Amino acid sequence: MSINQILPFISTAIMLGFTVYVFQRYVVRRNLAFLYWGIGLAMFGAGSFAEAYLALAWNKWVFLVWYLFGAALNAAWLGHGTLNLLVKKSWVHVVTLVLVVGSLFATYLMLQAMPKLDTAVFTTDKPISEQYGTKALDDGEAAPAGAQTITTTYRGEEVTAVRGLLPLGTTVRLTTPFFNIYGLFTLVGGAIWSAYLFWRKRIMPNRVIANILIAAGALAIGFASTLTRLGYGQYLYFGELLSAVLMFIGFRYAARPQPDEAVTQETIPASAD
Amino acid sequence: MSRQTHTDNKSRIPKNSLLFEKIVPALLILMGVVTLGLMVFAAGVLLGFVHF
Repeated sequence: MSINQILPFISTAIMLGFTVYVFQRYVVRRNLAFLYWGIGLAMFGAGSFAEAYLALAWNKWVFLVWYLFGAALNAAWLGHGTLNLLVKKSWVHVVTLVLVVGSLFATYLMLQAMPKLDTAVFTTDKPISEQYGTKALDDGEAAPAGAQTITTTYRGEEVTAVRGLLPLGTTVRLTTPFFNIYGLFTLVGGAIWSAYLFWRKRIMPNRVIANILIAAGALAIGFASTLTRLGYGQYLYFGELLSAVLMFIGFRYAARPQPDEAVTQETIPASAD
Repeated sequence: MSRQTHTDNKSRIPKNSLLFEKIVPALLILMGVVTLGLMVFAAGVLLGFVHF
């Protein structure tokens, strides 16, 4: 096995431990933020495992898990946990309802797309994130070297496209940016905002650093995914591992008791008795 | 003898710390700008302005 095939399994193991840790915190604290984070982390772990599996072999249900949990939903659920700490609970409940309905709808759309998968295009030579989508080529745009192309009718026009597992116009793909923009805004934006609030008040330095680590971890996977779409897929697995490690350290650091808690004790002289 | 205990359980950010005076604000600004950039990019993909 190459290093790029081993890294996703390491990421999966880290995310598994991370998920168990966060769900344990939910059981103890009964704070819904931990529940939403736990759901998002479980999705991240499932997506990471699916990615590792698909680097070795094909299975359409593993692909469903990868796309739905790894590419579409996990960032939104992670960010939703952060939102739970920052806004009024009544707002969170409304957004939770929207997120649950949206997630179920995305699942329905993904199930609808399953019979249409172009599985002949699958190869273990490339990360799944480089081959899941069919991409229409612009006029004069050349297909990447080695790519399989197809000429088809799309929105009433004849187009040439680089073949991918999900055909052109698959509806579930339209839902993914909504989840990811929401996830990016709430997870990274929320962590940056929290870090700023603690920093401005000059308190809890561990929370400042922890939130920066969480934001950096979330940005790491965002960058790695973007690079993959731009044709630099070799950084994806390292980006996922870095993301898992940074966010795990961030969460643990945020929960760490402060060693320098200022405890002052004043001994009041004995009263005259 | 009576004893009164006062506990301040919010630790303070150290003064004159290079990390908290320079590096943390720079990182927050940098990550904020990058996040905004990524969100604009993602919105561009969603709206069809960016072919990705």
